Amino acid sequence: MNAVLQVRDLVARRGSGSGRFELRVDALDVHAGEVLAVLGPNGAGKSTLLLTMAGLEAATRGSVERITDGAVTMVFQRPIAFAGTVQHNVRIALRSQGVATDEIDRRSADALAHFGIAGLSLRRASGLSGGELRRLALARAFALEPSVLLLDEPFDDLDSEAQESLSYDLRSALERTGVGVVVVTHDLRRAVMVSDRMAVLQKGRLEQVDARQTVLEHPVSPEIARVVGMTNLIPATMEAGGQAAADASHRLPSLDARPAGRHVWAGIRPEHLKVDIGRGEGESIGKAEVIRITTDGVLTTLDLRWGEHLLRTHLVAGRGLAREVRIADTVLLSVRPQDVHILDRPRAGIQPPR
Amino acid sequence: MSALDAQGLLEITLRTLGVCLSALVISLSFGVPIGIWLGRRQFPGRRVLLGLVNSGMGAPPIVVGLVVAQLFFRSGPLGQLELWYSVEAMITAQVLIALPLVVALVVAAVAALDLDWELQVKALGIPARWRMWLLLREIRLGLLAAVIAALGGILSEVGAVMQTGGNLEGETRVLTTAILMYTRMGLFESAYALAVVLIGLMLVLAGLLTWVQHGDRT
Repeated sequence: MNAVLQVRDLVARRGSGSGRFELRVDALDVHAGEVLAVLGPNGAGKSTLLLTMAGLEAATRGSVERITDGAVTMVFQRPIAFAGTVQHNVRIALRSQGVATDEIDRRSADALAHFGIAGLSLRRASGLSGGELRRLALARAFALEPSVLLLDEPFDDLDSEAQESLSYDLRSALERTGVGVVVVTHDLRRAVMVSDRMAVLQKGRLEQVDARQTVLEHPVSPEIARVVGMTNLIPATMEAGGQAAADASHRLPSLDARPAGRHVWAGIRPEHLKVDIGRGEGESIGKAEVIRITTDGVLTTLDLRWGEHLLRTHLVAGRGLAREVRIADTVLLSVRPQDVHILDRPRAGIQPPR
Repeated sequence: MSALDAQGLLEITLRTLGVCLSALVISLSFGVPIGIWLGRRQFPGRRVLLGLVNSGMGAPPIVVGLVVAQLFFRSGPLGQLELWYSVEAMITAQVLIALPLVVALVVAAVAALDLDWELQVKALGIPARWRMWLLLREIRLGLLAAVIAALGGILSEVGAVMQTGGNLEGETRVLTTAILMYTRMGLFESAYALAVVLIGLMLVLAGLLTWVQHGDRT
């Protein structure tokens, strides 16, 4: 894949005294036609990274290099609407850059239609709803035909239906234009939905950049495991044959080759932890007690007590076991060895990161 | 001293408009850039400057007139310019009265924009000249309020204008100083004629503001 933006040895310092913050990124490439999702907790430096990549904030050291001639455009978390109509908002940047009128007409009509707001063209932008404004901001950015598009929390504050439809339109616009996209979001589900690769920032450091599935299933640290939704992190000790012993009577299978006696974290994504209904998927790891049941209408989440440890798994809401299970029920659990991700644990007894 | 005739009324009205519009243009020329700068930038001492601007809004015009008159007085620091009792001195006083109003209202209008407004506009690749045009367009109602407040303050000002212009017939006499003079002389018809013109100017201004505001919302 061709890189359209390269970040090298970047250091960006902000603030002073106790409020001082430093972002460090050794190397990060944005490729044409891909979506790179940047995840991380609040204050990790996600927005600073975007602003520096956009050239809107200066780097203290290092470089952000544009490989192509195309523009780098950024859509902010709370996009502004200029005074005037929706159409004016999309056209103004093109006009300011001296784009020919017929080209402005074509690009703005395309962008407005693609994001489903062509019917609002003559409406005042100041009267748009949050979702419509988000669509306007994306249409305005796409009309510029950038080679790199930076999106800061594009789904923030939208209801789930609006998020769903906007992420669909966004993904289809990206496929159509081949623009390289960096999207910062705290919403893991949206990041998974729109991204090809994922980068995880922790305290100003870029800890992991990899293909989406690799980051989701093989996070390089327990902190990143938490960020990417590997919420089942159990302190364990390796035994012969790749078993990770959580305690004397609870063991997890794994394919890991660390030597016996090594203190580790055993990580399991909730969707990989199965409530065993006798279909033989994975290896049985014993019984657990259901201590909490929550649902969002799509997934039912079970919080389970497995010995002294707490585990979480998801079921499809409203179907099969999800309809029958009750608090205090005992269920059998199973997991495939390849779904247990082993991470080094510096010393015994420390709590999982929150 | 005789009552005011139509020729005299026209002459005073035109001079008033000339003085006031000159003061307004100068106030806006300095006040708008200063207001935008104070509204958008963070720097040490900004609060002090804003405090000075706010204090300036409440400064008694008579005191402003006194200071300007002292400046242009023959023995004053700018005495060699020979501008005491001149239209230029009146304009200077009016600028000093209007400037804090313009700056404060522009600061308020700019501060009402999103904190990252400028970054967002830059992110769209919009050049600096267009960014300024967009900014002025965004704060247009604040600018309009600044124009009206400044013009209202200048047009109705009498103390500072009297001190710096002296109400000289055919030279520095304007509507407010003329009203004061004819009232003192007991020539109430002339004073009322001037007052009607002054109020008429104010009403035209208010009507213009309402029309522009209404046009902006529909």
